[in-house]
Amino acid sequence: MTAAQAPRQAMGRKIVNAIASLGMLYLFAPIVVIVLFSFNQPKGKFNIVWQGFTLDNWRRPFAVPELTDALLVSLKVAFFSTLIATILGTMIALALSRYKFRGNGAINLFLVLPLTSPEVVLGSSLATLFISRGVDFGYVTVVIAHVMFQVSFVAVTLRARIRGFDWTLEQAAMDLGASPQRAFWRITFPLILPGITAAALLSFALSIDDFIITFFNAGSLVTFPLQIFGASRVAIPPQINVLATMLLLGSVLLMVGGVILESRKQRKTLAVTKTRK
Amino acid sequence: MTGVTSHRQRTVRRPELVGLGVLATVGVGLIAIAAEWITGVGATVIAIFLLAALVSVVWTAFVGGLDARRALAPYGLLKPGMLWLCLFFIAPLWSMLEMSLSSKKSRFDFLPSFTWEWGNFQKALTDFAPQFGRSFGYAAAATLLTLAIGYPIAYVIAFRGGRFRSLLLGLVAVPFFTSYLIRTIAWQSLLSDRGPIVGTIDKLGLNAPLEWLHIMNNGRLMNTPAAVIGGLTYNFLPFMILPIYVSLEKVDVKLVDAAMDLYSTVSQAFRRVVFPMSLPGVFAGSLLVFIPAAGDFVNAQFLGSPETTMIGNSIQNQFLVQLNYPLASAMSLVLMAVITASVLVYARFMGTEDIA
Amino acid sequence: MSTRQKTSESQSPRYSRREFLIRSGVVGVGAVSLPAILSACGGGGGSSQATNTLYFENWPGYMDSETVALFKKETGIDFTYTEKFNDNNEYFAKVQPLLAKGKTIKPDLVAPTYWMAARWIQLGWAQKIEMEAIPNAKNLRKDLKSPSWDKNNEYQLPYQTGIAGIAYNASITGRELKSVEDLFDPAFKGQIGMLTEMRDTVGLIAMANGIKLSEISSFDQVASAFDKLEAAKKDGQIRSFTGNDYMDDLSAGNFAACVAWSGDVLQLQAENPDIKFVIPEEGGTSWYDTMLLVEGSQHGEQAAKWMDYIYDPVNAARITATVQYISPVDGVRDELVKLGGETAKLAESPLLFPSDEEIARLQSWGALSETEEAKFDERFATIIGA
Repeated sequence: MTAAQAPRQAMGRKIVNAIASLGMLYLFAPIVVIVLFSFNQPKGKFNIVWQGFTLDNWRRPFAVPELTDALLVSLKVAFFSTLIATILGTMIALALSRYKFRGNGAINLFLVLPLTSPEVVLGSSLATLFISRGVDFGYVTVVIAHVMFQVSFVAVTLRARIRGFDWTLEQAAMDLGASPQRAFWRITFPLILPGITAAALLSFALSIDDFIITFFNAGSLVTFPLQIFGASRVAIPPQINVLATMLLLGSVLLMVGGVILESRKQRKTLAVTKTRK
Repeated sequence: MTGVTSHRQRTVRRPELVGLGVLATVGVGLIAIAAEWITGVGATVIAIFLLAALVSVVWTAFVGGLDARRALAPYGLLKPGMLWLCLFFIAPLWSMLEMSLSSKKSRFDFLPSFTWEWGNFQKALTDFAPQFGRSFGYAAAATLLTLAIGYPIAYVIAFRGGRFRSLLLGLVAVPFFTSYLIRTIAWQSLLSDRGPIVGTIDKLGLNAPLEWLHIMNNGRLMNTPAAVIGGLTYNFLPFMILPIYVSLEKVDVKLVDAAMDLYSTVSQAFRRVVFPMSLPGVFAGSLLVFIPAAGDFVNAQFLGSPETTMIGNSIQNQFLVQLNYPLASAMSLVLMAVITASVLVYARFMGTEDIA
Repeated sequence: MSTRQKTSESQSPRYSRREFLIRSGVVGVGAVSLPAILSACGGGGGSSQATNTLYFENWPGYMDSETVALFKKETGIDFTYTEKFNDNNEYFAKVQPLLAKGKTIKPDLVAPTYWMAARWIQLGWAQKIEMEAIPNAKNLRKDLKSPSWDKNNEYQLPYQTGIAGIAYNASITGRELKSVEDLFDPAFKGQIGMLTEMRDTVGLIAMANGIKLSEISSFDQVASAFDKLEAAKKDGQIRSFTGNDYMDDLSAGNFAACVAWSGDVLQLQAENPDIKFVIPEEGGTSWYDTMLLVEGSQHGEQAAKWMDYIYDPVNAARITATVQYISPVDGVRDELVKLGGETAKLAESPLLFPSDEEIARLQSWGALSETEEAKFDERFATIIGA
């Protein structure tokens, strides 16, 4: 490296950093608006123009019953669909990473198809099936729809997470006399549990936030995003911003917690390997 | 005794074929019943047959001993999830195909009847050509923009993040924990004629160049193609950042150092070493942005104008407002066909493993 | 009874738990049809028993804070009031799968706009209301009696009525607007909003073209209005087509002027006094939202009590004071005056109580045949870009 190149490199470095910072600004601009307007004090029923600061909306976050109901519906749907999808998805991920078997490639392709289809196609095709088979829309159809895209999601993310997993551990346990079931539940499961939890949490978030697929399959059921959509055509109460900010804070806390836990664990394993040396 | 042994050997030799065969048969059978290829007595017969097939696998596992059980295990694990997908992903596609060739006798007929109505496809391709064009155009533009914005972010996090890497990565994901719709609605306030962005542009005197670039239209940003593309870019940005980050993370810093020794400049090292290694991430990210963007209707609805609607808006409108399920199905299928074709081309090049 | 027969005979099969468990055991192989499985676990559509309850699904922001509670207290009826009726067409699409199959939906009363109410009645999705049980129905405004699609006034009572005209932001336009032609003024290029409600948007333009709305029966009669609208859209004159959210654009300054509904604008003026509403010289459309008793509902009696309650001018005035639309109930004006204070001022509002001269300028659409309506909707959908 010559001396002349150093300033140029520093320049390039600065430019890349600047673009990245601008990108981060872009990412957060709407979030600032959302949080800010949760403190707005609209004179009429519209929360669009800044009118003045108030804590009222935060004091009464559940003042709009339709919104609260819709949030509860979303949480309920997300709970059941995530539960089903996590079980099914984990089984698929285990099959794909634990065993070598025929049809592996075809199944891999089949699995990513739902993830690579536009939501509008997934939603409308499922609705077509329900309509032409005379199935009534409601909770069940929404849960089915969510599980459909969550299964693939859980399976694919979890498979990526456990790609490097050391399956000989399980074998070792069995060699020591553990039954395959016991070996799985005592050895493998605890080790892949963080991966499962992460995949489940993300797919929970996907379910809560899904609008397009739900829109086609909900019938008269109103989930949180559907309620926002309905409200957006009439009047958006500041409570929407409050609940959105709450969801945001909740997930950030979860995430920060996860990061702290992970770094602690890393430090611990680091310490263990060091002592071993 | 010998009979049993020979039988056992016969079964054990190819237990995985039994597993695979049964999985495939049951999947197809389920689709057949859900899509009503077969109804009535036929369906019951098939169902009994499928049940028998399942029983036979269990039996094979039972008589086949540990080896057979191990060979069958993956199929057992796959079965519930795969069958779910057969029933609620493949069967719907079939019924959509059926629907796309159906027609309604009168407008408020609830269920269209199957009539080989190819006119739906013709209508989808002619009347809605502009919407298709805009969908793919906007999605392509959004893909390029997410790449331009997302790559530097992923790069900075991967190479300059240090021990804050996971924190920074989390920070990128934070905005996406608020509702998709609320985010998009927030852009409405930001982009409005009296909003902060137009205000800043006015102050900086950037109107003329932006108008020239067709980003602004008569001094406004809202309800322009630029606003829709901007919204798409924003909403799908993390799908670009994350895969690129994952592939950059794998790049060994020592390798970059070595490259710098060889090529002498950072930009050359980047072009010849880092960028090629991040290509899988770029490709995966591109698909993960392009596909949902092409089918999106939320951004066009909230940020667009009647001249910027995308195919998703039309599908939604035909399906949920005009109640023209056949036409909506035909449009969905065309969209699906174009996208599947591109995914297959992609899979050819990259292998499916990297999509996640 | 065989599985097949049972599923095809009754639309909402209910299984015993044991039977269901056996069935779900077979689900793995798909021995039962999809709807049977799903309705067995979903519990089927909302079938309502004749209990002392009532469920009203209304448009959002369409009720004051007291009336619902007062009605419950006074009658002892377990009254559910929700605001999920967001869009006529969308709501229709949502309930069609159930109602078309002869099932019913959870709400007993719904609030479709008059033309959509006509469609519900025509499709047999509404049932007659016992008008004798509603003595206050005599307070129904004369001009709202006996529409062509409900000649004997037996299926519905209007909930609120209103006017579609032009709203504008005086600080942007810098002048007073009077005519529909002002919406096509090139000075406002890209700053004009139109409603996605076809009858209001096209109605205003048609009237400006000298067409009488009540006489429209075929698409060809108004083709010119559609052409004019399409040309303006292609020109970039029209910024977007919206539902009630035009109010966002109006107060955020994105729209200089737009087609708008009277009550909304009254509420907006509270925030922004620059916003004005005008019934165009050429005429405005008048519309109303109905209360319709859904076919299959077991709560006709309670519904009648509710309608009677809000057709009492005292209660109607309370609703008017909040929602600020034009009440279909005679005598509201006097009650508003009695309420005194700020509310009494509403009695003077020309938007709540338009003068006879203004009323003379209002027109409303007649019924359209199914095939003609389809042409209208299709062309309109093309124009709004969907």
